[in-house]
Amino acid sequence: MLTIEGLKKGYEGNEILKGISIDVNKGDVISIIGPSGSGKTTLLRTITTLEAADGGHITFAGVDKDFEKLNGKDINTIRRNVGFVFQNYNLFNNKTALQNITEGLIVARKVKKSEAEKIALDALERVGLSDRKNHYPSQLSGGQQQRVGIARAIALNPEVIFFDEPTSALDPELVGEVLKVMQDLANSGTTMVVVTHQMSFARDVSNRVIFMADGHIVEQGDPKKIFENPSEERTKKFLTDILANV
Amino acid sequence: MDNIKLIINFLGQLLPAINITLIVSLSSIILGSLLGLLLAAAKMSESVVLRVLARVYVSVIRATPSIIMIFVVYYGMPMLFNNWFHTNIDGWNRMYFVIIALTVLFSAPASELFRSAHESISKGQMEAGLMVGMTPFQTFYRIILPQAFVVALPNFANSVVNLLKEGALTFTIGVVDMVAKAQMIVANNSGGYAWQTYCALALIYWVISLAVDKGVSLVEKSYQAKRKTIAV
Amino acid sequence: MSLNTDFMVKVAQTAIQGVPVTLQIVLVALLISLPIGVLFALIRIYRIKGLELIVKFYVSLVRGTPIIAQILIVYSAFPSLLNMMIGKAAFSINPIYYAYIVFTLNSIATLTEVFRSALQTVDKGQMEAGLMVGMQPRQAFWRIILPQALISALPNIANATLYLIKNSSLAFIMSVKDITAIAKTEAAFNYNFLEAYLVVWVYYLIICYGAEIIFNLLERYFSKYRRSAKRTTGFNWNPFSIKQPKLVVKTDLAESERTNNAHN
Repeated sequence: MLTIEGLKKGYEGNEILKGISIDVNKGDVISIIGPSGSGKTTLLRTITTLEAADGGHITFAGVDKDFEKLNGKDINTIRRNVGFVFQNYNLFNNKTALQNITEGLIVARKVKKSEAEKIALDALERVGLSDRKNHYPSQLSGGQQQRVGIARAIALNPEVIFFDEPTSALDPELVGEVLKVMQDLANSGTTMVVVTHQMSFARDVSNRVIFMADGHIVEQGDPKKIFENPSEERTKKFLTDILANV
Repeated sequence: MDNIKLIINFLGQLLPAINITLIVSLSSIILGSLLGLLLAAAKMSESVVLRVLARVYVSVIRATPSIIMIFVVYYGMPMLFNNWFHTNIDGWNRMYFVIIALTVLFSAPASELFRSAHESISKGQMEAGLMVGMTPFQTFYRIILPQAFVVALPNFANSVVNLLKEGALTFTIGVVDMVAKAQMIVANNSGGYAWQTYCALALIYWVISLAVDKGVSLVEKSYQAKRKTIAV
Repeated sequence: MSLNTDFMVKVAQTAIQGVPVTLQIVLVALLISLPIGVLFALIRIYRIKGLELIVKFYVSLVRGTPIIAQILIVYSAFPSLLNMMIGKAAFSINPIYYAYIVFTLNSIATLTEVFRSALQTVDKGQMEAGLMVGMQPRQAFWRIILPQALISALPNIANATLYLIKNSSLAFIMSVKDITAIAKTEAAFNYNFLEAYLVVWVYYLIICYGAEIIFNLLERYFSKYRRSAKRTTGFNWNPFSIKQPKLVVKTDLAESERTNNAHN
């Protein structure tokens, strides 16, 4: 459904992504793990066209092109078929929880307001926040904000939702509620690509784990295999380090 | 081309009067900063009365046009001195009145600047200084002050440029500064070449403002450079 | 020698006719310069080639020169300029138009800086979130970025307005019949200048505090989204709240910090 080949990206001479290829199939829940600075976040941002890639090919939602050749229309198509959950939530500060969700539906998808509100309420229901629909982001806790962020993404019913370290900015006691919502989503068959430091999520919820380091995919496969019997030395070292620190 | 020649010619005629501008500005900056320091202390003092007085003072100054302040000082102070101290100050150099008015005007933003600079330096810095055995004065002088200085600098420069511009109203009470000089030149030319004359005037002020900005950013850079070398 | 209170009452009565003139100058200048200020700020932020340099030059020139010099230049240059275009009619123009021109030109420069820093306080993530729900950059700007920037600019717009009100007291130099001009003429008869200016002072205090109260209410009304749930919303505005102009903002640093953060 989504295929990326040879994706490259650099900043000021530093190569962050050195040719990444990924295949995402419908219903996949893919976790991307790896040390910080390995390019995980940049990978999501370039696939979703938030940042321009330097090279590579994308096949997604009818677009089948090299990244450099994407025109405005292709970019629109890509953006309209993905959802994105940000590390810092990035809820619209001047909109209520409900408006945060309806905004994209009404403005970008031209859905009627009443219809949009119905969809938005359903989405809020799914993340357990119907009672907070008229709250502004500043009136919500970090965990609640992130759940609204997830509701905003699912309301658009995208082909795939990208999660960029969705729990990294949260206080430890708020991580659980967000992971719970993500687990429910995964169980309902939503296609998800998740950059995460939560090894429990990667191991228990996803059906594939990608280990990245230094702009490369070092290893990928079944979570069970990656966690219990990694074939690469780097993966082994990363996992022992991180599990030792938990 | 002729216009440019004219402007350059007028620049030459106006520049000698820059002394007045510089004297007035520098005196008011120094005196205004001192008054501002006192005000900042009052704002942060334990006494409610002092705090309220300082706030009311600053708020009134903030809502007072500079020209009105200059006029009120110029016409009001002689009367005050006459009634209270029975001294006649009508003979004072008129520049003094402008300096007093500008001092009062400058003290308000200055106080706010000092206060916010002081507050921006965390209490932990003082505590850390004391804990390594410095006296409160040493800590203030060696730790707090240099940091507060850097924080306050950009806003201070901004206030200085504002003061400089307000100082251009000196002419309104008959001091012959650059503005008055420019008006004289225009009058001597029977109103001719007016905009060229005033452009020359504006140019001088612009250069001074740019110089202040440049100076401040150089100082800032040198401070940042210092910080970096320490960090490395 | 003491204050002539009868005269003060008289000045207060006549000078009040100048209040609408002052307010008119302030409102006209503000309404014209607000949208242009936003536009100029955008030119600076998006670094539009050529235009950026002009805006930068303009702002620096206006902010680096005294308003009195600007008044003198406009008041001496425009009549002859208009004379060339429309002939003798130029000299019968109501001088208040020159006041509109000077104070608008001046406010544009101030507000450009205000909006530039306000637009930069809106987190880059707000735009990205807009794009990720499928909005066009233009849509995200109008619906998400600009409303937030305007609200965070309110305190500085208030400052700019105060600055404008105070500067407008110099309109008398262009023979506009504003508060100061009227009081000055009254005072000239008997040399009661102190009394006249004290009255004018009070008028300006009232106008400035009035403006400040209006802006406080606006801020209170529009920043509802910033209030956290815990805080109750009692009516506790305070006319003596002091916010000194913070027009110099080291935006470049903030910008580079933000881009650094974006790299993972």
